[in-house]
Amino acid sequence: MGSSVNIEIREVPRSDGVVILHFIGDLISDSVKQINECISGVIAKSKNYAIVDLSESNTISSAALGEFMGCRKRLVEKGGDLVFTGLKLEMRTKLNLMGATKIFRIHSDIRTAINAYKWDIERQPEKIHVSFPPFLKVVPPLRQLVSRIARQKGYGNRDSFRIETIVDEICNNAVEHGKSGPDEMIDLIVIIDPDKIEIDVRNMSDPEKIESLTAQLLPENSKHHKSKPDVKRGRGLTLIKMLSDELSVECTEQGTSVRVKKVREE
Amino acid sequence: MESQIDMTFDDIRGKQNAKLIRFIGDMDATNIETVHEKVCNLINEGIISIVADFKQLRYVNSTGLGILLHFSKTAKEKGGCFKIANINENVYEIIEIIGATTLLEIYDDLEDAINALT
Repeated sequence: MGSSVNIEIREVPRSDGVVILHFIGDLISDSVKQINECISGVIAKSKNYAIVDLSESNTISSAALGEFMGCRKRLVEKGGDLVFTGLKLEMRTKLNLMGATKIFRIHSDIRTAINAYKWDIERQPEKIHVSFPPFLKVVPPLRQLVSRIARQKGYGNRDSFRIETIVDEICNNAVEHGKSGPDEMIDLIVIIDPDKIEIDVRNMSDPEKIESLTAQLLPENSKHHKSKPDVKRGRGLTLIKMLSDELSVECTEQGTSVRVKKVREE
Repeated sequence: MESQIDMTFDDIRGKQNAKLIRFIGDMDATNIETVHEKVCNLINEGIISIVADFKQLRYVNSTGLGILLHFSKTAKEKGGCFKIANINENVYEIIEIIGATTLLEIYDDLEDAINALT
């Protein structure tokens, strides 16, 4: 019996190192040679990240899986990977029982697999932009969202907590020192990559409140606030400064921008 | 949506004018007024020795920290104390960064904090 699998090979625009291998049909012992030749061809074209789409395969034999393991090893040695996507529940269960899910990364769809490539291999940052009205009650879900994204992206518990604190403090300051009213939106821009996170919060300044914000930046005031038990507020920027690697505040009559860079530690 | 913070209040056996307060949730700018009001009401009613159990307090920001320092100061001025036990690592780090570990009475566990009440 010959191999019953067809392979469609697709490139991914703007991601030169990636190739999508769409296997149509069952992956049996006779498919081994075909898999091997396909991956050899891919490597020859310097495509080192193979997304194997199994959405139209019902079965994978242990021999075919073993071949994929060997192919993956060759790709990993070249700085790439071989990942699976589109697995049917039955096949996923089988791979799990065979212990293959500990070796292969499995993505729910092709887009997620491409995003993982951009993150892991190209180390491309991801950007989140949220505009919110200047109300304190909006801040907790936002800070938790950014913290969860950091955790999901592999940042550790300590880093994620620090990121949550930084977002909380900057956004609270923007609400407190910016213009109030439901139409005066605050912009939270987060750019996260595997090594660092950059947070930028922009809003319209309230001229009457600018002074109190800039006063927090004076070294003598941050020292004063840190150690005085009778001072209830005004430690936010001090805390941000201590938790982050870079802090800059641009405060004009047009608007305020607080930018923070936090390098991943864990 | 405000952050959720729950507080439970219990008497401490053998200690007069004392209460154990358990904090559960996040303490931040959205609920600090509630926390402030509840604890200050206690202190004004003569409960001047307070042990705060932070075992289930997940998060505190700079505003929350400011209020904790205020409780400690107010209780001390009335001849009492505000002791904190069971702080998680992340919250402790925030207190440490602000330089408040020497201003607050912090204990590793609840028993130590209660035993330290005069």
